[in-house]
Formats: sequence, C-alpha cells, structure tokens
Amino acid sequence: MSWWLGGPVPADGALHFGAPTALLAVAAGLAVLSLVLMLAAVRSGRARWVELAFFAPAALLLALAVADPRLSSESGVEDAGRIVVLVDGSASMAVEEGGEPRAKAVDAQLAALSSLGPLEVYTFDEDLQPGAPAAYAGHASDLGVALSAVADRYLGEPLRGVVVLTDGIDRGALRRAVSEAAAEGRLSPALVPALPGPLSLLAVGTPRGLRDLAIEEVVSGGFAFLRTPVSLRARIRGAPGEAVPVSLAEGGRLVEEQSVTLGEDGRGEAVFTLVPREVGRFAWELSVPLSDDDAVPGNNTHPVVLRVVRDRTRVLQVSGSPSTDQKFLRLLLKEDQSIDLVSFFILRSPGDVRAGWRGSELSLIEFPYERLFTDDLSSFDLVILQNFNYGPYFDSFAAEGLLQNIAEYVEKGGGLIMVGGSLSFDMGEYAGTPIARVLPVRLGLEGAKADETRFRPHLSAAGKAHPMTRLAGNPDETEAIWSGLPELDGLNLSLGPTEGAAVLLEHPLLKAGGAPMPVLTVAEVGEGRSAALMVDASWRWAFSEVAQGRGNQAYLRFWKGAMRWLVADPEDRRVVVVPSRENALVGEELRLTIRVRDASYGPQAEARVEGRVVAPSGAELPIDLLTNAAGEATLTLRPTEQGAHRVEVRGGPLAAERAETVFAVSARDPELSEITPDHAYLRTLAAIYGDRGRFVEDGSVGDVLLDEGAVRRSPQRAELRLAKAPGLGLAFGLLFGLGLLLRRRLGAA
Amino acid sequence: MHSRHSPRGCGPAAGGLLGSALGPLSRRSALGLLATAPFLLARRAEAFGASSLQDIAELQLSRGTLSRPAAWARLLYELMEATSVEANPSSVLISPEDPQLFEHPFAVLIGEGALPPQSAAAIEQLRRYLSYGGFLVFDDASGSPDSAFAKSVRSLCSTLFPTRPMAPLPGDHSVFRAFFLLDAPVGRTARSSVLEGVTIGPITPIMYVANDLSGALDRGPDGRPKHAAVPGGEDQRREALKLGINLLMYALTSNYKHDQAHVAELLREGKLLDLRLPSAVRP
Repeated sequence: MSWWLGGPVPADGALHFGAPTALLAVAAGLAVLSLVLMLAAVRSGRARWVELAFFAPAALLLALAVADPRLSSESGVEDAGRIVVLVDGSASMAVEEGGEPRAKAVDAQLAALSSLGPLEVYTFDEDLQPGAPAAYAGHASDLGVALSAVADRYLGEPLRGVVVLTDGIDRGALRRAVSEAAAEGRLSPALVPALPGPLSLLAVGTPRGLRDLAIEEVVSGGFAFLRTPVSLRARIRGAPGEAVPVSLAEGGRLVEEQSVTLGEDGRGEAVFTLVPREVGRFAWELSVPLSDDDAVPGNNTHPVVLRVVRDRTRVLQVSGSPSTDQKFLRLLLKEDQSIDLVSFFILRSPGDVRAGWRGSELSLIEFPYERLFTDDLSSFDLVILQNFNYGPYFDSFAAEGLLQNIAEYVEKGGGLIMVGGSLSFDMGEYAGTPIARVLPVRLGLEGAKADETRFRPHLSAAGKAHPMTRLAGNPDETEAIWSGLPELDGLNLSLGPTEGAAVLLEHPLLKAGGAPMPVLTVAEVGEGRSAALMVDASWRWAFSEVAQGRGNQAYLRFWKGAMRWLVADPEDRRVVVVPSRENALVGEELRLTIRVRDASYGPQAEARVEGRVVAPSGAELPIDLLTNAAGEATLTLRPTEQGAHRVEVRGGPLAAERAETVFAVSARDPELSEITPDHAYLRTLAAIYGDRGRFVEDGSVGDVLLDEGAVRRSPQRAELRLAKAPGLGLAFGLLFGLGLLLRRRLGAA
Repeated sequence: MHSRHSPRGCGPAAGGLLGSALGPLSRRSALGLLATAPFLLARRAEAFGASSLQDIAELQLSRGTLSRPAAWARLLYELMEATSVEANPSSVLISPEDPQLFEHPFAVLIGEGALPPQSAAAIEQLRRYLSYGGFLVFDDASGSPDSAFAKSVRSLCSTLFPTRPMAPLPGDHSVFRAFFLLDAPVGRTARSSVLEGVTIGPITPIMYVANDLSGALDRGPDGRPKHAAVPGGEDQRREALKLGINLLMYALTSNYKHDQAHVAELLREGKLLDLRLPSAVRP
C-alpha cells in the first residue's frame, strides 16, 4: 500500500492541499470543460455514458493531482533540559593569584560540568559569544547583558540550569543596580532578568590577599606648547595609606621622583610639571615599584608621548646700532602675530660716553647679556645678531663662555642668523670664537674685511630652490624677482662657505677661494641651523618695491622664509613621519604617515621611503614604501608591545633626509582598575533569584542548582504528497486509456 | 628733485653741549666700562655706503616750506656723538613726488604758513612711504600750534590717513624716552606742551612739532644759533636737541622703548624664562 501511495501514511495524518486556491479552481474548471467537449463529440447515447464512466474519473484524478493533496502529521520527542554555562572572559580573570592566573580552574570546572549533561558554553565580557574563552582579555564584563541574552535566546525552552563562572567583577549596570538596591533595602526580582532555568553562580578567585600597585591612568592632553609648563597627572592605585614612589623617566633617565600617599580608597595622584624645550614628539615613562606578589605586573609602568608644538616663534634680535636695516626687520617681526620678539639694541656704546649727557637725562637700561646668553638663551627659537659686536659689552672673562653658549644653542637645535655691517663677522672680531664654529662662512680674513662697492647679488643654483630665497612658485620667476631688486651698498667679506654650507646669494664679481663671494649662506649645524647675510641694507628690498607701488612682498617673503627655515620645526623638514595618534592601546590600529618634499619643498611622488619601527623589546618592523602623488606613504600597524616605540625613516631623492618620531603604547585596561573578586555581589545576586538561585563560593560543580524536571521537546513532522503517488498516475492512465479504446470501438472519431 | 646739503657748523667746537657726566648704565656696568675703556672704546658702526647712513630728507613743496640744513646737520652730528647710531650729518631737499624719497626713511617738512594742495601722485607716494617704514616730522616754524601751517598739516594728514586723525601723543609714548627722558617737547618756542602725531597700529609715522624744533637747532655760518630760544634760553635749546635726537631714535626703533621697559621688568623679576607671556608685554 505504501508503494501505491508513494510512502507510509502518517499516523493521525490530516489531509490538506498544497496548491493555491486559484490553481484549484482553474484545474476543476478545465476538467469540467474537457468533459463537456468530449461528450459533445460523441454521437450515440450509449457511447456517451460509457465514455463518461471512464473520462470523468480520469479528469477528477488529474484535477486532484494538480491540487497537490498531502497527508501530514506532527509529533515530538522530549530530552532532558540543557545546561547553559557562561564563562567570564574579561581580563580580570587573568589576574595572577599565587603565581597562576585566576581563571586556571575554569577548564576543570567545565570538564566537571560536562559530566552533568549536555552543555551550551558561552563567553561573556561586553557581549556574549559562543564557546569557551580563547583568552581572558575582555575589556569589561557585563553579567546583566549576558543573562538577558540567555533569557531571550532560550525563551520557551526550560533549561536544566544556568551556570556562571566569574570573579564577580561586573562592570555593567546590573552590579550597580544591585549594589544601590541592597544599600536602600529594596532588592527584588524586578532587578534581574527572568531566566528559563535555575541560576548557579560559581565564584572564581580569592577575594583576599591580592596586591596590585598600579598606574591606572596618565592624563596629559596629548600635546603641549613649547616652553610652556605642562602637567602629567598619574593616577595611582594600591593599598590604602601606602606611600608610593612614582618615577618620571625620559629615555631611561630618571627625571623626577615623587612620593604619593594613597588615600583610604587606595588611590592617589602624582603631578609632574614639565617645560618642553624642543618641538616634536617626546616619550616619557611613569612607573611605580613592581613587587614579586604584584597581581598585574603590566600596569606598574605607563608610557606617555606628548606632541610639543610651537604656539609662537620666539626671536631674540640683538643689534649693535639702531639703523634702518634693523628698524625694517623689527617692524616685520613685530607685525607677525606668530612671533614673540625680544629686542635689544645698543643705543649707546662705550665710545659714546664722551658725549657728556648726564645719566639722569637718559632712558637706558643695562644690556643684560649674561642673562640672555645663559639662562634665557634656550627660550628662543631664533637669535638674530644684527651688526652686533660682542667685544665692548661682554665681560672679557665671560665672553668665551657666552659665545660658547650661543654655539651650543645652535648645535642643539637653535637658529642663528648673523646680519652684516661693520660690527659683524670678521669686522666684529668673531674669527676664532665659538660663534665662528657655527657660522656657514669661514672667517679670519687678513686685510680688507668689507667691500663698499654697490652690487646686485646673484641668485645661485641652490638659491633658486631653497625655501629661504624662493620668492615665487618657480625658479625662473624667483630669479626674475631677485634680479629686479635694487643694488646694495657693500658687504662683509669672508673666506667662503664652510664645508656643507649652501651659498644662496653670491656677489657678481668678487671671489673667495676662486668661487663667488658669498652674500647669503646657510648651513645645518648639528641639530640647528645658521645663516650669514653679509649685507646691512636688506631694507632696500622692501622700500624699493614700495617706491614702485608693488608693496614689500619680496622682503616679506625672504625674511619669513628665512625664519621658517632657521627655526626648522620637525614637521617643516623635507621628510616627516607623523603617527595618527601619540598614545595608543595595545592592539589598536595606528597609522604612520610619511611625507616627502622635494628640494623646493613640494610633494615628492614615487620617493622610496625606508626605515623601521622599533618596539621597546628591540623588535623591529621594517618600512619600505613609495610615496603617492601627494608625496605621502602610509603604514598601518597594530602594536602588540607596551611602551614607547621609536620610528626612524629615511627618504627623499637622495635618501639623505631622515625623520624620527615616537608613539606610546599602553595596556591600560579599565577592567583591571579593580581586581579583587566581588563574591558579595554574587551572593546577593543569587539571593534575588530565591530558590532559583545559588552562590557557590568554592566554585564546586557538585553544588550546581539543576532543575531535573526541565525537558526539551524536539518537534518531528511527517508528510505524504499524494500527487507523487504511483497509484494515482496508474489509475489516471488506465481510465484515460480505456476511455479512448472504447470510444474508438463504439465509433467515435 | 633733490639736492644734498654738505655738513656745516657742526662738531664739538660749535656745539657747546658736551659734558663730563657718565652715561646711562648701572653703577656696576659703568665701572666695568671705565675700567676697561682704554681697551674697548668701541669702533663705531659704519654702514656700508653713505646711503645706508642715517640722514634727513627735507620735503620741499612749491611754496610754504623752509629749508634749514644747518639745523639737521647739527642734529645728526649730536646724534652720532650721543648714541651708537651712525649718521651722515647732512640733509637732502626732495619733492614728495620724487622716488628718491625712498632712499631716506627719515623726512622733515618745515613751514610757517599755509601749504599748497598736493598732487594725487604726491599723496599716494607719501602714503606708501609712511605705511611701509618711512617717518615724517612736521616742524612748525611759526612756533604756534594754531598757525596756518598747523591747519595745513592737519588737512594733509587727514588726506593721507582719513581714519587716523592727528592727535596729541600720550605722556608714556616711546618718543618721550626713545633715548632721553623728555618732559616737554620744546623747540625755539615752548608754547605747546604736546607733541601730536598720527598713529597707525603700534607706531606713529607722522609727528607734528608746534614749537619750531629746527629753529632751535639752526645755526649761522659762524656756528652760533640763529634764533633765540624763548623763554628758556640755552637750557631750552638743550631740551630741543634732546627732542630732535629722540625723534630720530624713535624713527629707528619705533616702540622698542615701550617694549623694553616691560622686558626690563621681567628680567628684574626673573620672569623672562616664564614663557607664555602675554604678547602685549613683548617688545
């Protein structure tokens, strides 16, 4: 029988049709129509009835097949209810207790639980994921979210039990709500999610005997202004009342140490004040002592990087004699809002004392050269010595030391320009002094030290591209502007440029060592830069253009370009590397953008950039990139080590330009701001669930609360499609065939 | 049109203003200078080329202006004697329309009556000259602040800088302490107790002296003063010389003195290294 019907007939099966109602109506209509048409073609009344006896059932069977009749029945099987296990995957579960991670017992607990029946295991921290934790690294655990997810996921299915393995350090809303309600005496089941099974809270960890001295956070703001005090606030956590030495180090060198006595809550703050002296990115490290029993060794140090920016350029202008040249430069510097100018002009030299004015008539102050060129010198970005000779003013015993200070200031990153005049260069008797060491021209002339013939300086090949003398967008235009500027009145002579210096403007006729006599020369000296402008009439570049109604753009561009180049911000160099952020977390994505500029400081495309990222352990990540059309190349990385990382790149057309930066990576994790297991919370939570909740302090699996009456029903469905039954097809064929045969025999055509 | 006057009637013999008092520095520095003076009497600054030396351009109009080259030669000589400024003790006569005006960043215009209207080209050139670093002193030879010359000057200034009216300069203006401490801006006369000027931003490129400054400094071929200084006599003439030197020094240093006073205060208080100072106190 089963063969005739195409399968076994379901017990208690119910008949229903699978075809749409419209299709059923069409099929029935076609069956009736075909019968009427066939009967209309039959001539004898006997034959009509014989054919009707065969064709009518055949048509009915066809209509039935189109209607897709089905016999179906539903039944179910019942299994024991499942046990759902939630394992806390947050970082606090990895805290060391007795030399081992707190979560070490979890694997054994899971194995023991599996002997109780089938388990559905999930990991929870901020979210709920299937499976046991691969690592205990979650940044926050939220038990309330996890329980709600279980309630939703198993809605309608009674569970045999819900088992939670946790240290109770729940950073979600449930713990706060329970804590507040407990304090106010209003604990109720409304506070917690209704679960489909009894809840067992298995405690992990020991709530006593833990020690964790930590730098929880360092607040810096991420950037600071040059020479402006900035505070680093280190938030310390440890034992209440503990006196903690907090150290600040830079490059492994101890900068300062403070002792902080922690309050009753075990927290305190150390505030370090720094005055950055250089522009760029700089790394510091704060640390507290690490003891053998420290539960979280990784949070005893905290690196921090500050980006130091220049809010204004600080310029010291010292002039040996008020002059029109000095006046024009001062006006330019004063009008520039980005410049802080400190000027000192020698209004009266020792040679003028014979003029015989009473001191009380004069409005003069002492020239504070000792202060300026000792303590205060490092506060300036640029020093301009404009027609200034030190001899008459510097104490003869101190002069060497003060000039040495200026030279070291340049070598350590300062900017210096000496502007010409009868008190400058060899005429100012700088030959043989430490200043001569950092000037870009060689001093020590015998004989004439100046030439007073008028001349118009020539722009050198290097000068056409250099940002200091580039007055227009392209070299030809720049050269045209320079050739249109007026003649100057003469210049200081020199023995020529020093090695490595670049002559930007040169005398059209005079020679020094066979090469054109330098008029404007620049050099990089150590970390700093220096320039020598051997004339005292650059003001004419301003006034001559004004006379022609053109403003003073050439003069402005020259001096602004000069200051920008001399100050040499790290991000104004030809190769620059910039991290997307100064302080990142372990594993966070970080981008390093490397910008390369050509000789004219435009974007350098297709430039090879090589270098490395050096992690605190010494591990290196190589950099080998090509710049795009914008002159930029980007490296994306996810640092895995905590600490200051150093980046070194080299690039540009000659691969001669270098750039460095640093970024800090910390493992700061709010989850670890609390490491002591909170068993009281778990106990309270279990109490809220009443007889459907249990707190198991020792984590014993044998005490898990189970509902043995919980069953899981598995639905089963059986269906027989009669349209596919072989018997139906055979019956249709038999009836239709006999009908045709009789019709032929009885004479129907 | 311009012509240069050669120096006349200047030098110590003609001056009579030299004294024996020491200069401005503190006792410590002054002693230091005295002790080493024979060895370090500094070589004076000498600009390359005469055109870079400080001189004075006398603006000459078609009528109404005076020329007193001996006064300016005298003033420049005293400037060199008293200060470290290197000057060419001479003046040039020049028209306000002459492009050569831009070779001489310090200009004076002396008059005692009404001035003729100026051409648009002259006005435009003067405006550029004063806006980009030039300095102009109007010296009223009438010695009266209510003169026809004074009215012409006010009119000319309102044409040059319509939104910057000429006004009395405050007592703490840098010009009153650019080199000397000045109590009153006297010249041949002392009728006006104020200096007036046109101030643009932090600097004052135009000043008006009502008390005939050049009259007090002017000398005849014999080197003697041409005009009596009234009512103060030679003491007043000495004060006029100080005013002249302060005007030249202000033209070269603008508000340097104003800034330097603050810097000196910061130095005394040891605050120069405290870095984020308000920009207002910076030189």
